[in-house]
Amino acid sequence: MEAITITLNGVEVSGYAGMTILDLARESGVYIPTLCHDPNLASTGACRLCLVEDEPSGALHASCVAPIAPGMVINTHSPRVVAHRKAILKLMLASHPDSCLVCDKGNRCQLRQLASDMGIGLVEFQRIPQPGVIEEVNPFIQRDLSKCIMCGKCIRADQEMVVVGAIDYIHRGSAVRPTTLNDVPLEKSECTFCGTCVAICPTGAIMEKEKAYTGTATSTVDTVCPYCGCGCNLNLGVRDGLVVRVRPSAPSPVNRGTLCVRGSYGYDFIHSPERLRRPLVRVDGELQETTWEDALQQAAAGLQKVVEKSGPESLAVFGSPRCTNEENYLLQRLARCVLGTNSVDNGSRLYSAASRIGLGATIGYAGTTGFLEVLERSRVIMVIGANPEVSAPLVDYTVKQAVRFKGARLCVIDPCRTRLTGFASLWLRPRIGTDIALLNGLARIIIDEKKLDVEFVTRRTDNYAPWARSLQKYTPDYVEKVTGVPGQDIRAAARLFADAEEASIVYGNGITLHADGTSAVIALANLAMLTGNIGRNGGIFALQRECNAHGACDMGTLPNFLPGYQLVDDARARQKFEEKWGCRMPEGAGLNALEMLAPGSRVRGMFITGENPAVSFPQPARVKEALASLDCLVVADMFLTETARLAAVVLPSASFAEKEGTFTSFEGRVQRLRRAIPPVGESLPDGGIIQRLAEALGVPMPYTSYQQITDEIEEIVPFYQHTAFKNAGDGELELTDIEKGLFGTRRLHKGLFPSGFGRFTPVEQLTPTDVAKDGYPLTLLAGTVLFQFGTGSRSRRTSRLGRFRSEAFLEIGGADAKSYRIKDGDAVVITSEKGRLDTTARISDALPPGVLFMPISFPESPVYELFATSLNHQARAPALKSCAVKLERTTANG
Amino acid sequence: MTAAKPGSNHQRTIFICQGTGCVSGKSFDITAALSRAAKEQGLAGVNVDFTGCHGFCEQGPVAIVEPDGIFYSQVTVADVPEIVQSHLRDGKPVERLFYKDPVTGEAIPHHRDIKFYSKQQRIILRNIGRINPERVDDYIAMGGYESLKKVLKEMTPGQVIAEIKRSGLRGRGGAGFPTGTKWEFCHNAAGDQKYMVCNADEGDPGAFMDRSTMEGDPHTVLEGMTIAAYAIGATEGYIYIRAEYPLAVKRVRLALQQSEEKGFLGDNILGSGFSLRIHVKEGAGAFVCGEETALLASIEGKRGMPRSRPPFPANSGLWGKPTTINNVKSLATVPVIIARGADWYAATGTEKSKGTCVFALTGKIANSGLIEVPMGIKLREIIYEIGGGIPGNKKFKAVQTGGPSGGCLPESYLDQSVDYESLAAAGSMMGSGGMVVMDEETCMVDVARFFLSFTQAESCGKCVPCRVGTKQMLDILERICRGEGKPEDMDILQELGQNVKVGSLCGLGQTAPNPVLTTLRYFRHEYEAHINEKRCPALSCTSLTSYFILPDKCQGCGICLRNCPVGCIAGDKRMVHIIDQEKCIKCGTCLDVCPERFNAVLKVSGETIEVPAAPVPVTAGKPAAAAASQKE
Repeated sequence: MEAITITLNGVEVSGYAGMTILDLARESGVYIPTLCHDPNLASTGACRLCLVEDEPSGALHASCVAPIAPGMVINTHSPRVVAHRKAILKLMLASHPDSCLVCDKGNRCQLRQLASDMGIGLVEFQRIPQPGVIEEVNPFIQRDLSKCIMCGKCIRADQEMVVVGAIDYIHRGSAVRPTTLNDVPLEKSECTFCGTCVAICPTGAIMEKEKAYTGTATSTVDTVCPYCGCGCNLNLGVRDGLVVRVRPSAPSPVNRGTLCVRGSYGYDFIHSPERLRRPLVRVDGELQETTWEDALQQAAAGLQKVVEKSGPESLAVFGSPRCTNEENYLLQRLARCVLGTNSVDNGSRLYSAASRIGLGATIGYAGTTGFLEVLERSRVIMVIGANPEVSAPLVDYTVKQAVRFKGARLCVIDPCRTRLTGFASLWLRPRIGTDIALLNGLARIIIDEKKLDVEFVTRRTDNYAPWARSLQKYTPDYVEKVTGVPGQDIRAAARLFADAEEASIVYGNGITLHADGTSAVIALANLAMLTGNIGRNGGIFALQRECNAHGACDMGTLPNFLPGYQLVDDARARQKFEEKWGCRMPEGAGLNALEMLAPGSRVRGMFITGENPAVSFPQPARVKEALASLDCLVVADMFLTETARLAAVVLPSASFAEKEGTFTSFEGRVQRLRRAIPPVGESLPDGGIIQRLAEALGVPMPYTSYQQITDEIEEIVPFYQHTAFKNAGDGELELTDIEKGLFGTRRLHKGLFPSGFGRFTPVEQLTPTDVAKDGYPLTLLAGTVLFQFGTGSRSRRTSRLGRFRSEAFLEIGGADAKSYRIKDGDAVVITSEKGRLDTTARISDALPPGVLFMPISFPESPVYELFATSLNHQARAPALKSCAVKLERTTANG
Repeated sequence: MTAAKPGSNHQRTIFICQGTGCVSGKSFDITAALSRAAKEQGLAGVNVDFTGCHGFCEQGPVAIVEPDGIFYSQVTVADVPEIVQSHLRDGKPVERLFYKDPVTGEAIPHHRDIKFYSKQQRIILRNIGRINPERVDDYIAMGGYESLKKVLKEMTPGQVIAEIKRSGLRGRGGAGFPTGTKWEFCHNAAGDQKYMVCNADEGDPGAFMDRSTMEGDPHTVLEGMTIAAYAIGATEGYIYIRAEYPLAVKRVRLALQQSEEKGFLGDNILGSGFSLRIHVKEGAGAFVCGEETALLASIEGKRGMPRSRPPFPANSGLWGKPTTINNVKSLATVPVIIARGADWYAATGTEKSKGTCVFALTGKIANSGLIEVPMGIKLREIIYEIGGGIPGNKKFKAVQTGGPSGGCLPESYLDQSVDYESLAAAGSMMGSGGMVVMDEETCMVDVARFFLSFTQAESCGKCVPCRVGTKQMLDILERICRGEGKPEDMDILQELGQNVKVGSLCGLGQTAPNPVLTTLRYFRHEYEAHINEKRCPALSCTSLTSYFILPDKCQGCGICLRNCPVGCIAGDKRMVHIIDQEKCIKCGTCLDVCPERFNAVLKVSGETIEVPAAPVPVTAGKPAAAAASQKE
């Protein structure tokens, strides 16, 4: 590319074609003030503060939008430029209130900073007051448009970054302002309260509302969001040991300025009054506060007694994907080396086991195969069994950006309407549980129409021919019969996917939580391999529900795997760890989480960290019984959860904001958590608890710092050799470091799969067992909602999320509601073979006939009581997506 | 023209104007009544037809009888029987409907003798008023679509561009960018798809030349557009018409249909292999959508907000594709240039501004209407010869050219040449062709305030100088008009005006301060009078004027008291009436109703008339008073 040379403040500097004057100035270290510019947004040149003068033409250019041109002689601070800049700033100040003294934005207000930088005092212009605070009932965002300078950043953030389209300009002239469609309050608009506009607003016009703690942060810390698996980088503002606000980290290459409502407003649980501050032990049937020494001693004694009585194999450890890699590493070491059991598992068993096994069997790699940048540049994106708006908002933003701004075409496969279906060029609505037939059908069409990637299939995969033969019966007619999707749509989807230069697949719990979820994952991987959309092009994006689901499994918090997926049964691998840890390890795979608590289980004692099986497992009532009947239950948690209430010893855990360590995001980025505040009360990070418990058990672990653990992980766990943690120091993560940290990806991009060849694996569509059947004519889908998270143990303790749309409900389609004579708000009872639930009906137009939806996040309405503990065979995980139910209205006179 | 055969004495055609102005004067009804009457009378040789706007809307509804060339003005349905019987049947024109010269009062029967027309030179408006705009054959009979044929059969796109460049045609939308060069940029831009857009979002208050062109001769716009599309290589076109022009939309749509039927549009036009589809997009009423980037955003379905250039539409326009946007008048000129040659066209006008320009002449002028004059004509010729001067023996004060963002030029500029450069040098502009004449009763501060209030309200609100700067200026002007001006206001206005001009993102903001800056430049004394003496020299600003009843003239007739809408006049029979200045709303009713022979009410500004505190008996003994009382 030809370099373009211009003179900038008397110095010759060179840039490339298309670069703006502002880009080049910033690159050259020349400061130009801006208010409407943001690196994550398309520039519009609205504020005009970045005006610069081109000497030869005498023209003033808005440098954020003016491209450099040969021969320009740019002056960024000539008297003329400065005079105009001051005048513009004065105009803004004239239409901005003087309420700085009482404005929460305070010195962080960019308008005020610039006024001060430019030495602007009182303004001679007439005051032009603007309309003020808008009355709204949502607890998240307050709009005070009297402070709005119309930089338009909120509108662009809404439309370009999170692609929601809730706000736009209204009116003309001096009455113009940003607002919702029809000027309704935010809570009645499309707004998802992601808080991106709040973070980007340069003044106090859009502010966080109803904060638990006020005041300006005196220090800030970059860390990682503790909710879903996207791994968004957070910036915590701290004052007096309290987290007072959360923003997206400024230079993050991951979330690039965005967050979701949970990331922005879900942090209040840190300072919840319900946080456990001291250890608890059971005395005469009641939990009472005690000292750490006493609690640990009692926990150790309890566990040891179980070992003495029933042997180490009767102990089990259940860890959490909310804990760091280091903590999970310690936890499985505790299980294997201290307690002597391989019965160790983590909460992601419930929702991502199918991915681990399905992808492992085909591509030999147990997770998402690429960065979101790959998804963003894909020409075709298939979203199947996932509603990323709720489960992985960052992925939702990326898909929508690809469609809206990069010309990608979207194929959504989902029986329910989601916001993404509005972006789709093709939307298939298969019957619930028929995904395998549909995916096999797509593959067959691609093969029949010779649209497969022959070179990729030949050189990078094996077992093609037997697999292709297994597709024989999946003709479009057959698939149409099974799935209910019209044959022409199946053909269109197959062609769309196969013809794309680069195609990606996004899937989530709608795939993995079904009874045959593992087979469905395999069918997806077959499709990706068939079209060469894996490894070098496109990829598979397996959404993860929890922040460190990926890492917890990588660290070997699994009954059959050691860290780095080295088989427990592999004596050589065991030996490596035994030498490292100086201990003897039990042989043979242990029990998984469901088996631990299954009727007749041999488990008599358990240590549970950060998990709440009494709510999250199917048949919670039965699980509670199992937990209560244990000889010893030790629980470490932030709150007295339903599970913790049953424990003999409860140890108070610290939150994510109170600890160091790393999370591995669903993309495979290993990202560092930084401690923002000291642990609340006497609580300790789970890692510390595990180490102190090991010590109390008489087998102390030899780590004195997190760095030592991280170093050991790097040394001993394949794929973690280049984590960013070590290189990043205290500064920001470098992109190159993070790229190195994306273990496996490089390998996938070049040469062979980790296991050699990708393996085509035949899978058959079985008759779905988790859908409507005789006597239970409706199919209930269980899932998450945007304003809650998981089982709600944190989100429900977050004041604002807890209050906003926090009632449990049952969603029912309009046609079904009519035939059951149910009106919005009616009380209903749903019954399955396993249980019954009372709740309130809400009519929705998103559901197909015969399908109901209920969120899982409300403990007062435990959906999983309705589910059987039917295990997905290959993954040994429960099928928690759907079940057969019947419905009755209980409201009279409905 | 199927009916009007010049020279035939047996057949007469009466053309009724059906432009929007005359339509609002019930010309549809007049047409229907004429047809009916002609039929009833059994006048086989008489045709009733209609045309587009003649431009002389002030005299509307107008009609022309050909081949006689008789021009009727202000026709009503009631006049129809007389026209039919006397003129169409008996060949005796109806004299009372002749146009009367506003200065001499002389009746002028023939269209060609009316000064309003005789001084004009019509290129863009050449067919309007002479053809039925809803019949493509009329256009073809006038030589229409011959240029398109010539272009497609004999010329390469490069030759078309060269011809237009040689003609010196500049964009008639206001900025005056050379049309041929614009086409060349787009022609040379790389792109698999290109677009040709006609900007018919005529938003200047009082301007209606684009509307008249589309209503009166839609095919010339289509032909020009097709030639342009051929030159740049576009296969899709859009005409962006403001939705407030329903008649124009209707006639353009009809013309599109006819043109496609005739093979002048659509696939493989005239067998040349060149294809073009044109769509009509109706605007939603935003003035700023006349700005080309806002217009493109609007076509794309977005909010009409301008964006920064570069990239220019020639490289990245509609949906990011190379796009040419031309004004209606520019496109209407193109077929003529092709037909008669660049040299012929370039012979008219000045060195840098070729051809003709169209103005909507209005304000304090005898003949207001649409006019087309050669570039380089003097303002004086337009105002005094075509426009017939200022009515009511008032004195000329200023003329504003170029729409709401134009500048106001004083009497000393009357001999100024009308062309792009001269007007810009004087602080005004050609704009889209508004021309407002002001007389001594117009307050220039108020005029500046008025125009700025329009541009301020129509600002898209995107950039700070335009949104807030114009609002600041407007607030200051409003204050000055209220008599609350401060001496430093003029300097602030001057500075802010410059800030807005150079700092704004698009043409709207860059020109919005023009009326303020030019009035400050040429009529500074009026600002000073408002600010320093709290006086409006034109007696126009309500806050600065007051009404007094002169004690020595008032005859106590009570007519003002009875008509005062707020009851602020005290008095009684034969008592001197007194206006309560506190209560007076300055509506001027008292002045209007006071009998001319008394002339007792005086409107003043910046001064106070001594009046008694309470009504006193009318001063006795004056002959006038005695006469008046006798009459009563």
